[in-house]
Amino acid sequence: MKGKSFFKSILLLLLIMLLTACSSVMPAGQSGEVSLVDGLGKEIQLDQPAQKIVSLSPSVTEILFAVGAGDQVIGRDSFSNYPAEASSITDVGGSMGNYSIETITSLQPDLVIAAEINTPEQVSALEGMGLKVYYLANPKSISEIYDMILNVGILSGHADDAEKLNASLQQRVQAVEDTIAKATTRPSVFYELDGTDPAKPWTPGPGSFLDELIMAAGGENIAAGLSSAWAQISVEELLVKDPEIILLGDSIYGMTPEQVAARAGWEGLTAIREGRIYPFNDDLVSRPGPRLVDGLEELAQLIHPELYK
Amino acid sequence: MRKKSTLPPYLTLTVILFAAIVLSVAIGSVPIPLRALWDVLWQSIQGHVSSLDPGGVYLNILTNLRVPHMLLLILVGAALAGSGGAYQGLFRNPLADPFLIGISSGAGLGAVLAMLLQSPYTRVGLMTIPLAAFGGGVLTVLIVTMLARVGKTVPTTNLILAGVAVSSFTSALTSGLMIQSTGEVRRALVWLMGGSVMTGWRPLVGVLPYMVVGLTGLVLIGHPLNVLQFGEEQAFQLGVRVERVRWVTILVATLSTAAAVAYAGIIGFIGLVVPHIVRLIWGGDYRRLIPLSMLGGASMLLLTDVAARSLLAPQEIPVGIITALLGAPFFLWVLKRAKAQNYW
Repeated sequence: MKGKSFFKSILLLLLIMLLTACSSVMPAGQSGEVSLVDGLGKEIQLDQPAQKIVSLSPSVTEILFAVGAGDQVIGRDSFSNYPAEASSITDVGGSMGNYSIETITSLQPDLVIAAEINTPEQVSALEGMGLKVYYLANPKSISEIYDMILNVGILSGHADDAEKLNASLQQRVQAVEDTIAKATTRPSVFYELDGTDPAKPWTPGPGSFLDELIMAAGGENIAAGLSSAWAQISVEELLVKDPEIILLGDSIYGMTPEQVAARAGWEGLTAIREGRIYPFNDDLVSRPGPRLVDGLEELAQLIHPELYK
Repeated sequence: MRKKSTLPPYLTLTVILFAAIVLSVAIGSVPIPLRALWDVLWQSIQGHVSSLDPGGVYLNILTNLRVPHMLLLILVGAALAGSGGAYQGLFRNPLADPFLIGISSGAGLGAVLAMLLQSPYTRVGLMTIPLAAFGGGVLTVLIVTMLARVGKTVPTTNLILAGVAVSSFTSALTSGLMIQSTGEVRRALVWLMGGSVMTGWRPLVGVLPYMVVGLTGLVLIGHPLNVLQFGEEQAFQLGVRVERVRWVTILVATLSTAAAVAYAGIIGFIGLVVPHIVRLIWGGDYRRLIPLSMLGGASMLLLTDVAARSLLAPQEIPVGIITALLGAPFFLWVLKRAKAQNYW
């Protein structure tokens, strides 16, 4: 039909116009002392390790402090609450996904470190202000944490400290592995991320970091059969699976074992009858950083207390 | 007839817009003293560096953030309010807004799909969200008009009903995608609330052609819309080609709204309320109502954006939340004051 092809050609024309309305933003750096490719595949070059750093996520802040670069952090996002010293650093926003690009620009950092909670548009906006932005991708397994920590160490001039930290973390992970290898059982675990709706609480499914951590700590995630990494499990499914251990990641938002035990239909669960329902500090396992190993150790102790007597 | 306001409409709204521009450039999470603001801009026009801005930080913030942001919001506000005014005239319905026949739900679906794609960090990759939003919006309007078509005409009632149905369907798809995705929920939500207005000069260059065509078309459509208010039969007898007016209105409103939504996300309420405020104060002549709505829409979006950026600084609130939060009480105040009877 005539009208249709007219609209089609107009549409095509519009798309072409929109597509051409863009220009280059990639920085063309010169060779410097530090040169790393970040999680977005762009190369970051610094003449010297960054001395004034803005961190855009709690995990990045934690890593910076852990490698001894804490006093080089001149700005951090609103959620960076660990370690305690971080709270006195300038807040550059971040809740509702909005950072104050103005504030970050005015701090004149020589490096901004972003994480996966930041969008490519935010990275691009900061680069548009002439800032260098390193995008730190989330690790997909425990073994990738070390690379992440090392990269932050290199960027901030603390590569040696980062390697020392990694060595001790590796040792601790190995210790957990050795201990768990002695386990004769694999208890089933339900990890609650958000139980605001007790009929279908949110839980980490297959492919999530928590799923791997629970496995590594010698447990079996009852949500491993769900379809996505972050999913709502039906309470009926939960009753059928009857977990031996319940961990409340939402305890940091005020959920208590008592509240959970009082939920309709939950009183018959093995975990609740045997009192194996524990609050858990979700910050340890939701922020990809050195404290993940703390999280792993705590999980192992909760799932296999008999091995830690 | 109600008595129209004696305030000169264009002068009043231009003064308000000018004040909004000054506020928008002067206020941000980094305080820039007014004296420095003027000096920095003036010196930079002459090619000098202001002594009040040794590091060039103010100049960077002003020229790369605040000024292009302000210009983009003016176009977005004008497009939304102008399209809303035209749709209210076309559909002869006080509840009409630019999103009436599905453009926002389609753009939302496009944007959320693009977020799931995880396109590469290149200049083309960074364009996927605006492109998908624009395409999704335009495509949805096309589908709605095709569904609403009866023979050679597109009855407005059918358009509205098809628009509502397609919107619900598309929004459900969007929600489903958001629930299924792992980390993108907040990003999508912020986009859907108008919280990710893109920064820098590129979006401005991107929307400009659509805005020029769209806004000009909207202003020119005023007279036929006036005639249309007598009813479609009458308008036809008075020599207005009703079908053509309908198509042109939908085309120009869709162009400008889709371009606005592509770079600024979905900013509600402005397109509904600003034309009503103009109508309550200066009457319903569409030759004036549409351009006045554009001026008013630009001012309202600038002012609400100033509030969104400064209420909880350094945190920024998605501007779509503030437009309704501050806009609704303001509109109700105007409605109450106008003591409008048989207003529509």
